Amino acid sequence: MRIAVTGANGDYGKLLLPRLEADPGVESILVLDTKEPPPMSKVEFHRVDLTRYDAEGELTDALTERPVDALFHLAFLFGPILNGPLAHELEVIGTMNVLTAVGRARLPRLVVPSLTATYGARGNNPALLREGSPLFGCPHSRFVNDKVEVEGQVRAFRERHPDTRTLVLRFAPLLGPSLDNPATRLLSHAVVPTLLGFDPLWQAVHEEDAGRALHLALRAEAAGEFNIVGRGVLPLSGLIRQAGAQPLPLPGPLFRGALRALGAVGAGTLPVALLDYMHYSWVADGERAESALGFVPLYHVRDAASALRRSQS
Amino acid sequence: MTKGVLGNDPFQRGAAPRTGEAKDAAADPKAAKKSAKGAKKSAGKAKGAKASAPKSGPQAKAPKGGKGAEAKQAAAAPKTPAARVHKFEARADGRGNGNGKPAQDAHAPGDEGSPLREPSTPEPASEPRPQVLAEEVHGSRPQERKVDRALTEALASDAAEAAAKTAVDGLFEGRRGPDRDIERVLATELVAELAESAVRQVLDDGDGGAPERELATAVATQVAEATAGVAVDEVLDRHATSPEERALPTAEDRDARDLEDAEDEATEGVWTADAWRRDPKDVPPPADSTEEVWTADAWRRDPEGIAVSGDPEEDDDFVSGVERVEENGVHISVSIIEGAAPTDVDPEVELPDESHDELPPSRRPLSLVGDAGERPLEEELERGEAAFDRPEESAPPAGFAGRAVGMLSLARDIAGQALASEGLGRAVGAMHGLMEAMRTSLGTGGGSRLDDYGKDAGLVENLQPVLDFLYEQYWRVSVEGIDQVPRGASILVANHSGALPYDGLVMSQALLRERPDLLEARWLVEDQVFHAPMLGTLFNRLGAVRASPENALRLLDEHRPLVVFPEGYQGASKPFAERYRLKRFGRGGFVKLALRTGAPIVPVAIVGAEETSPLLGRLPGGFLGFPSLPITAPGPLPAKWTIRFGEPLTMEGLPPEAADDLGEVQRLTERTRESIQSMLQALLRERRSVFAG
Repeated sequence: MRIAVTGANGDYGKLLLPRLEADPGVESILVLDTKEPPPMSKVEFHRVDLTRYDAEGELTDALTERPVDALFHLAFLFGPILNGPLAHELEVIGTMNVLTAVGRARLPRLVVPSLTATYGARGNNPALLREGSPLFGCPHSRFVNDKVEVEGQVRAFRERHPDTRTLVLRFAPLLGPSLDNPATRLLSHAVVPTLLGFDPLWQAVHEEDAGRALHLALRAEAAGEFNIVGRGVLPLSGLIRQAGAQPLPLPGPLFRGALRALGAVGAGTLPVALLDYMHYSWVADGERAESALGFVPLYHVRDAASALRRSQS
Repeated sequence: MTKGVLGNDPFQRGAAPRTGEAKDAAADPKAAKKSAKGAKKSAGKAKGAKASAPKSGPQAKAPKGGKGAEAKQAAAAPKTPAARVHKFEARADGRGNGNGKPAQDAHAPGDEGSPLREPSTPEPASEPRPQVLAEEVHGSRPQERKVDRALTEALASDAAEAAAKTAVDGLFEGRRGPDRDIERVLATELVAELAESAVRQVLDDGDGGAPERELATAVATQVAEATAGVAVDEVLDRHATSPEERALPTAEDRDARDLEDAEDEATEGVWTADAWRRDPKDVPPPADSTEEVWTADAWRRDPEGIAVSGDPEEDDDFVSGVERVEENGVHISVSIIEGAAPTDVDPEVELPDESHDELPPSRRPLSLVGDAGERPLEEELERGEAAFDRPEESAPPAGFAGRAVGMLSLARDIAGQALASEGLGRAVGAMHGLMEAMRTSLGTGGGSRLDDYGKDAGLVENLQPVLDFLYEQYWRVSVEGIDQVPRGASILVANHSGALPYDGLVMSQALLRERPDLLEARWLVEDQVFHAPMLGTLFNRLGAVRASPENALRLLDEHRPLVVFPEGYQGASKPFAERYRLKRFGRGGFVKLALRTGAPIVPVAIVGAEETSPLLGRLPGGFLGFPSLPITAPGPLPAKWTIRFGEPLTMEGLPPEAADDLGEVQRLTERTRESIQSMLQALLRERRSVFAG
């Protein structure tokens, strides 16, 4: 089995590559990235910059030169970056290039990660969001809305290319010692501001579980979207406590204003959009991943959060 | 003047405090409490007066009226500490000399301030009682025997006291301290007490002949010597303990006491003071001719003791008098009598026994603490905690009666501690739960045992004491027809009521308690409540689920009973006048659900919730996301709740497609609504009082 991976140097890539390396069924891994990944015996490196105008042609060449059995499109950001247009180029235009190349090369399998945050934290969410729920995104967050746009592209691609098995893994916030995303940054503070009077339910996936889910997608017989969540839920305050920090409830307007001001100065440590996720719950139902993908989370949210604490100390 | 004047008459009871300083005290609640405390303290002395009374015997023919008046007049006197102290001393002296100094001296204004301020020193509280019993037992025997017995007893007690004095003095040799004299007196008394009870036991067993006289004397001396050590220890022990520590209230007692207002407290205290005066006359049993023999001797000891023929009221007073005596912390001496001279208590004479059996022993000393009224409430918890230190202070003494004393007081302490710790534990648990709830609603609760819907099992567990209290004692929820709720999925449709929706929580509690065979019920709340800051968060952790078809379907798929309030937010914001008139039932969403899932609809009527948090008005609440902010009572009111479950409407014969038939949905909605409305009206007709049910 020959696997192609984009964005192998990102968090997802770091979780997946060692597993593929250890998988005896995998002959070689074609890494399509701007940077060379850490050396591994099965890795073949092919430099591709997804943000360049000629990325699509390069990808098609690389994929058709030697046929691959699956492509993991992992070249995504894990949090908002200051350079919004670049993020948009990478995520939306990059995905467009990848999808076009995959269509041309007629790959049998495509795996794309996404986030449960794309459902949006809204007051009228049901208690548990199934995969069929509409993706409302987050009105103030370019980052989340880019993800929603990517999901739309992937869905359209899936409809046009039914012979390519397309899996979208919607991850709950990833927590783990080796990760760096808004959730882990939020929880790494000693005191975490929260919204006074609200304590939404949060989910999280331990990095081990996330790597396992990606690996499972390589052989799964199912297609479509899957919510990849850890076991159980925790209120945000509980998550913060589990991670070894203290919640500090602040009145909403004050908090929002402070975050805006910080963001305007450029010292924004927390994305303003995170406020929505501190206000309403966005609990995804991991039942489909369990039954169709065979993914059973090993870690409870508690464990994921306390793993974060262990990594800090 | 009849005995009613002596303080039995409720009118007199009220009137008594109006003499002396208590009059002024009545005006000022604080002062009233203080005087109450003083009066209660004096109850200890009341026992003293009573103690000598029985010896004086029922003086049926004594000049009742005059004495009564004097007693009444004197009633105000003992409220000054000096007088009280003096009284005690007088009494102690009398006993020490063994010849019964007139107790009347006690009422003379005290001119010397004695350091003796201990109201709870182990005085021989029930000493006279056995004697009274003996009186009655032997009442039918010839008078000579009475005389013999009296003589024997007098001799024996003299001997006992002498022996006790020697023994105690010997033991006190070498000990020093500011209160040594007092301690010595107390110890002597205690020993004499023991000896006398032993003598009486001997006398009761025999027939009072000349040999017995010697025997009694010998017994008295021996017992006195044997118990001197124990008594000294006891006295020193007791002395080391402050009265507050000795008589500690349990949590329940505190609760009970909280309910009494200051006035009650004051009246009670005064009444006790009154009883103190009254007791000497109350003690004797109905007069009969033989008792005149006693008078001579008794009169010498207590000229004030006036025999009064017993009547039921009198008995009551005596009982309370005894109780009060014990409450001041002198239960030690009671224990002695119980342990050492059980035969003294004749089963036919129920007077003293009743006082013992009225309450469990562990509660009595704690129930009416002398100075309870004076303490601020904040201190009570602290006091409750001090209760844990008690057992260590009273080490069980060894010896003849000492062992029994030790066992009894230990048992008492253990029981008291258990009570205190259980009550305290409950109170602390409830406080903890409430704190947790507060933190949860602020958004810092941080529970870690949440289910997918957000119910926090840990929080519910912590709050259970509070929920239990609300359910059982505060709202006294009565549930009717709950057996009609079918197993498996069912939709319980209820009227929404009250400005704050407690009804869902109470419904789920009712189902949890009455139908443990069902799965845990959940209730749906409308967005306005679910997303209300704090309230919504708290409700979600307690088990509320946001009302949406997806959630409802999921809950029904789990075969849970589902509580819905189709009136929605409108139902919770009805004006008070229309509180039990049902509003429009939404768009029939619950009927569609029932049709799709086949779950039966159970109509439920809830009465009482409207009065628990009546809607008094509304404020614009847009800034918090509410359509309006309810103005209601500051806390839930204690209205009585009744929940009636009606007959279920099954969906049999109706296909799931009927959910799309608006006419059918409308029909079923209306049926449910009418069923609930008629149950509501029936319940309102049956209800006589909002708060009493």
